[in-house]
Amino acid sequence: MTARLLPHNRIDDFVARLVGSAEVIAPRHVDGGDVFYGPIDSPAEVAWDYRTAVEPLKRFLLPQRETILRFWKDDGIHVEPEYDERERVFLGVRCCDVAGVGVLDAMYGGEIPDPYYLSRRERSTFIALTCQQPDEHCFCVCGDAGPFLDKGYDQQWTALTDGMLVEIGSERGESLAKAHEDLLEPAEVEHIAARHRLAREAEQKFSDFHAYIAAAMRMLTMNEVQPEVWEQAADRCLECGSCTFLCPTCSCFTVTDRWDDREGFRERHWDACLYSCYAREASGHNPRPERANRLRNRFFHKVSHQWAQRNGRQACVGCGRCVVGCMGWAHMPAVTEAIRRGVMT
Amino acid sequence: MAEIATVCPYCGCGCGLYLHAEKGRIVGVAPSLVHPVSQGRLCIRGWHAHELLDNPKRLTRPLVRRGGDLVAATWDEAIEVVAEGLREVVKTDGVQAVGVLGSARCTNEDNYLLVRFARCTLGTPNIDCSLRSQCFPELAGDGRGFGQATSTGQFADLDESDLIVLLGSDPTEEHPAVAARVYRARQRGIRVITVSTRRHPLARLADVHLPLRPGSEVRLIESILHVLMIERGMARAETGELAELRASVADLPPEKVAAETGVAPELVREAAELYLSSSQAAIAYGSGLALSQEAAAALQALTNLAALSSPEQAPRVVLLSLLSRNNLQGCRDMGVAPDMLPGYAQLADDEAVRKFERVWGCTLGREAGLSAWQMLGRMKAMYVMGDDVLRSATDPDAARSALEGLKFLVVQDIFLSSTAQLADVVLPAAAFAERDGTWTSLERRVQRIRRATDPAGQVREDWRIIAEVSRALGRPLPYEDEKQIFEEIVGLLPIYAGVFYAPLAVNGGIRWPTPEAREAPFASEATGPDHPAARPLDPGHPPAKTSEQRPILLAADPTLGPWDGEVTVCQTMTVADEFTVADKDYPDGMLLLNPEDANRYSLRDGRPARVLSEKGEAQMRVRVTDEVPEGVALVPYHQAARTGLLTVLENTGTGRPMLVPTAVSVSPVQ
Repeated sequence: MTARLLPHNRIDDFVARLVGSAEVIAPRHVDGGDVFYGPIDSPAEVAWDYRTAVEPLKRFLLPQRETILRFWKDDGIHVEPEYDERERVFLGVRCCDVAGVGVLDAMYGGEIPDPYYLSRRERSTFIALTCQQPDEHCFCVCGDAGPFLDKGYDQQWTALTDGMLVEIGSERGESLAKAHEDLLEPAEVEHIAARHRLAREAEQKFSDFHAYIAAAMRMLTMNEVQPEVWEQAADRCLECGSCTFLCPTCSCFTVTDRWDDREGFRERHWDACLYSCYAREASGHNPRPERANRLRNRFFHKVSHQWAQRNGRQACVGCGRCVVGCMGWAHMPAVTEAIRRGVMT
Repeated sequence: MAEIATVCPYCGCGCGLYLHAEKGRIVGVAPSLVHPVSQGRLCIRGWHAHELLDNPKRLTRPLVRRGGDLVAATWDEAIEVVAEGLREVVKTDGVQAVGVLGSARCTNEDNYLLVRFARCTLGTPNIDCSLRSQCFPELAGDGRGFGQATSTGQFADLDESDLIVLLGSDPTEEHPAVAARVYRARQRGIRVITVSTRRHPLARLADVHLPLRPGSEVRLIESILHVLMIERGMARAETGELAELRASVADLPPEKVAAETGVAPELVREAAELYLSSSQAAIAYGSGLALSQEAAAALQALTNLAALSSPEQAPRVVLLSLLSRNNLQGCRDMGVAPDMLPGYAQLADDEAVRKFERVWGCTLGREAGLSAWQMLGRMKAMYVMGDDVLRSATDPDAARSALEGLKFLVVQDIFLSSTAQLADVVLPAAAFAERDGTWTSLERRVQRIRRATDPAGQVREDWRIIAEVSRALGRPLPYEDEKQIFEEIVGLLPIYAGVFYAPLAVNGGIRWPTPEAREAPFASEATGPDHPAARPLDPGHPPAKTSEQRPILLAADPTLGPWDGEVTVCQTMTVADEFTVADKDYPDGMLLLNPEDANRYSLRDGRPARVLSEKGEAQMRVRVTDEVPEGVALVPYHQAARTGLLTVLENTGTGRPMLVPTAVSVSPVQ
């Protein structure tokens, strides 16, 4: 599957065609000043020069609240699931966010396929936009998820002088390219070389910030983490849930039913394993009664080898949103450093 | 999918957030990165703020009590019942028998209209808000303190200080946006001093923690003033206020007050040293201070500290008053108070009164009315907007009896709160995402909230409901929308001069006073030696003493579970448990006890203890924790009154009955 070039003066046409054929989700400025991924109606709305979107792609595959089934009673009792069957193209989304989808795929497309997630996922096309300037909180190099990906995307675009280099990463990506062949040119050798050079240059532009994920993985997996680390982390965590809700790979949920005497519906909502009542049982027993227990559980899921085996990769892509969102000081870089050093600062 | 910028409806921080709307329904929440308060963060309440909107327990239709039960009625019917009920009571018992309660949750427009309704349409001066008891007593009028107890700075000042002091506050529970700043400041080497009874998470990380014995805040600050002024020779004035202040603390070295404050003298001096070596100190004080008996003196003590500030000797001081709710500041700004008009205008100020009379078209009474706690038991009718009277009452049982004893009670709210359940008429109000309006945060940041979804059922904006009731009583309040009301507010309140409605839509709003507010009776944000604020303190009530028989000092801690049982938080679907489980596990009150004391008195974690005070006896389940100093026990504030253990004394300044630290004995239940 060969790479193509989409010249600059044809990008808008390409995007306009996408908008005509599916719901296009792209980074855009909202009234309020932030950049969010969301549906666009025209090519002009795409914020090509953004650094990070406030939230990852999770919301479009696993909404914060979704109705998963309805039930009603007339002559009998009826139960109807509700699926989202919108065709979607995710355009210009960050590599780290696309990599995060891979972990959600392992959770929801694995042993117990989740039809609600899969209905959305199977209708999604991902066009990643590589990063040439990381944001100050980014550490995707530690997250093995950027600034350029080698796989896991349908298409990956890189902004070059001549236009967008369009790398093809799947059959779906190839079909999309073929469908709009008239707008694309073959990529030359120098385009590919530029892409690789830009990837190396981007890797040099990260701030001093790291997340010692490899060390954390080794120590968590081998049960070598000092217990005090979790106690100290607990003093620095407010259980706000921001890390959970902003993380591209977190997927915990709870379910609530609502009904009157004729009909009702079941909803799924985002939940956070850090919340004190998350695992609390009806008897009142709580398997993770202390915050330290819950933090250890969270980081085990994120960076232990056992879970990496299950997910196909570590569950941290280094997008840095937990760093921005943490109301205390218990985000991935802080905790992995503490695991490595045996103490939190 | 659309993202609608608005503000979180919970605490006083005023975090900006976006509501995700899809097909008119709110499907989620996201933080704002560019907002100066949230900076990309939201707490557990903010992340689930949308869940209260379509909760099935929302009040969606007016309710009128018929035959003992609250039954659905039309708006016209309900308004007529309200008007008739109020007219009846005014006729038989007079306007002085009618009380009105405003809201720390509702908008400035709602509160402003309620004040106009109370003072003009009804003609009663009895208007207040129950949560105002969580603010410091007003120090306005004679220019004492800072004019009106409010923050003198903003959160950004925390970033720019080299010392942060947290006094009577656990921001991780009550003001997460402040906690976030402190955690980050710590990473940059900024020093932190905490002063509180409970050793909360930030206290464990502080450079110096002063483990305060309950009720001794004033004495502690005085002993710090002693160290600064007597031992370190600061502010060596011979005459004037500072000289008087020095004389008043001359005999209060840390050693002398150590037994009362519970703080070792070397810790006091360590804190003073840190203070002296700083160029700017941000002092954030919260409910632990506001709900103490000597709250007024405590604030004056802080003011005294700030008055010592000079470029040579002592740090510039920024004070942050950590108000608990989203619009508690605005509620006060709008004059929801018995003894003043909007904008802190005084009833004795002829010019100010005339100004309001002209715009409102009525004659205003000049006598102060009753405050919220005074109204209970003395009113015949009450009109309550968005106020949880029972939850803020010192004695909830007495408050309940008082409400039940009313001839007529109207409650306007979004959920059937415990107060609403006692009403004769319940009017369903629009929630924060269903209407426009403004709130003023504890930073004095005026921000707009936006309508993002259709109002549920038949709810109406609070201000519109008030306007309807006023019309039915013969005095129409002809406002078209929130913007019009707000513009009238800005025109009438000098402190809001220059706060224009349109720019409030920009993320972060506008903080008052703007440069245009030249007349504002409000001191500048900087403190300094010119500040006419220093004043010796009244000794106030002596603190409770423990004895051999009653060796433990029990106190109600407002920083423990401050949101537990709060109606809007408990009506979220995902996190309701987080705010109800402590009450379930400790239904008779949670007794926090130090491990040494637990051992000493043969008590175990999770087991019941028999607690005896002069006032009463209770059985409470023990929670052993080293967060509590030896010789002290704590119970969450909202559970404290029910135990019947704590002495009730008057707050020095307001006279409001308060739960004060009380000596108890603890023993195992046989």
